[in-house]
Amino acid sequence: MLIFESIVDGIRDIKDHFGRTLLQLFGVILGTGSIIATFSLSVAGKEASMKFYRVSGGIERIWIGNKPTGKVTLDAKALASDGLTYKDALALRAEGKEIDLVSPVAQDSMSVRYGAIEKKRDVMGVTPAYSPISFFHVERGRFITDYDLQSAARVVVLGTARAEEFFGSDNPIGKTMIINGAGYLVVGVMEEKYFSFDQRRNVLRWMNRQMYMPITTMTTRQGQPLQNGKLSFMHARMKDVKRHKEAVAEIERILQRQHGVKDFQVFSRVANLAKNESENKMYDVTFMICGIISLLVGGIVIMNIQLASFNERVREIGTRKAVGATPAQIFFQMLTESVLVSVLGGLLGIFAGKFFTQGISMLTRNPAIITPGVIVNALIFAAGTGLFFGMYPAIRASRLNPIEALRTE
Amino acid sequence: MSAVFKFESWQESEPVAPTAVAVDKSLIQLERVFKTYDSGENAVQALRGVDLKIGAGEFCAIIGPSGSGKSTLMHILGCLDSPTEGRYWLDGEDVAAMTGKQLARIRNKKLGFVFQTFNLLPRATIWKNVELPLLYAGVDGDERRERAYKALERVGLADRAKHRPNQLSGGQRQRVAVARALVNAPSLILADEPTGNLDQKTGGDIIRLFEEVAAGGQTIVLVTHDPAIAARTHRRIRIVDGLVADGDELE
Repeated sequence: MLIFESIVDGIRDIKDHFGRTLLQLFGVILGTGSIIATFSLSVAGKEASMKFYRVSGGIERIWIGNKPTGKVTLDAKALASDGLTYKDALALRAEGKEIDLVSPVAQDSMSVRYGAIEKKRDVMGVTPAYSPISFFHVERGRFITDYDLQSAARVVVLGTARAEEFFGSDNPIGKTMIINGAGYLVVGVMEEKYFSFDQRRNVLRWMNRQMYMPITTMTTRQGQPLQNGKLSFMHARMKDVKRHKEAVAEIERILQRQHGVKDFQVFSRVANLAKNESENKMYDVTFMICGIISLLVGGIVIMNIQLASFNERVREIGTRKAVGATPAQIFFQMLTESVLVSVLGGLLGIFAGKFFTQGISMLTRNPAIITPGVIVNALIFAAGTGLFFGMYPAIRASRLNPIEALRTE
Repeated sequence: MSAVFKFESWQESEPVAPTAVAVDKSLIQLERVFKTYDSGENAVQALRGVDLKIGAGEFCAIIGPSGSGKSTLMHILGCLDSPTEGRYWLDGEDVAAMTGKQLARIRNKKLGFVFQTFNLLPRATIWKNVELPLLYAGVDGDERRERAYKALERVGLADRAKHRPNQLSGGQRQRVAVARALVNAPSLILADEPTGNLDQKTGGDIIRLFEEVAAGGQTIVLVTHDPAIAARTHRRIRIVDGLVADGDELE
């Protein structure tokens, strides 16, 4: 009852002193707006990077690479080492308990010809595990099989960009390409990969530009025994994301034993993700602080104006007290007004937030999602501001001595 | 309660006389009421032991020169202030020792105020103004509106219910204030110089309104320095130097 009347009174007050209310609203609108923008961009950013990981191999993928040479810290033994070889992949697959897939990859630049077109192109030597570990599948034909691997078959699978480059709109499957002078049968074409953070640049375009042959074919064609075949890198898939540290440690232990030196590096995407997250958190916190400062300023304005309005209304408060309003009732009424203003500011702040979010999203081409949860959070913050900063004027009003209040001119 | 405690209290309480003075049927009973304003070194004694009884249904005036303490007495009677010393029973309740919140409840339920300066809420309608005491009493919306409307009818302003105070004349505003004072059916109406801001004629109208209300059995205490107005009440209480002067006849 009193709350209803207080809200009606508050709304009348807002209407009667619109300019003043506008001042009060301003800080709250900006504060709520920037909090909404922060949350929306951060939520959307997280979602986008999670999605990126999902389409490109999941967070359970571990990357194992050669340590860049030429570093002073490498000792002679490391320099003499062959780096990652096919043997290492076999060892990991045989001994790794934390991992269920190992995909060794060798890369080479080769002369590729079909018909009149001849180009130097990067080719990847892979095993069948490459496809599931990268979440990258064939669209037409088939991928490299175990049989291809065992028989070092001269087969090739094309990324969409390569298929188009050499075959245009023709079906490449069943055709023969000449790679480094030998004929290779095209057995498959990969799906087209697309992912963009900014709706413009396809960050997975490099995947479409690959072509694949069995790793055995590549190494034996290079004239090396398969076991010693050098690898550009390996992927491994951990069984349990929660045990990512153990998985990395296990890989490092096996490779260390194989090589005798640490001439390799192991990165897990989970660890990467955590690192990114802590970086993002810093941005989030920065924006959050901006929002909170805006709300703080808004709150101080609310307090000031409530105090001014309180001075104007001393007589009115005195009258209310004379007719029997208890201190608690006066406190409640004054506080309702502050909260009302701040909630109104919060509601308008939603629009400001939408505007900010879309603006930033358009400028930086980052995605943004405004979720209901974000809006609820921002409104709670706004109402909290009114509650907190309305406290002091409300306490002053509730403690007013009615006799002195009524004497005030 | 333990048996031990009972035993002790029996021992203690046996010879004790009743602390509360037998309250007679007076609506208001003040007993040796002192009010001291302690402003640093020189304390000012505004009331110096006032004894006063006002019966239910009385229509009386408190008169006295300015600085005599009549405003202070009025504030204490109105439960806006507490005596420094002494007892005050209002309608059988000992209000002298009450807390701020309790006093607010007493003002809300048992008192109605009419001020010299009307003190209406400027931005609320007449109707809302009259409803105000009921709002704080927690009376339901419909009942509140109905009772406020009846009070406005009683002072002859029902047709102005939806106006704002600044659309009314001074006399009309004071009638609204009287309606507000009546709306909670108080035990006592206190009017502080209710005609002070009005011209002779409208002031007379307001006094006539008070006479009508008093004729209905309502207790009214009116503070005034105007002998002509005091003369129209049934009893005059003269305050001189913080005390009730003997004799309540006009001089």
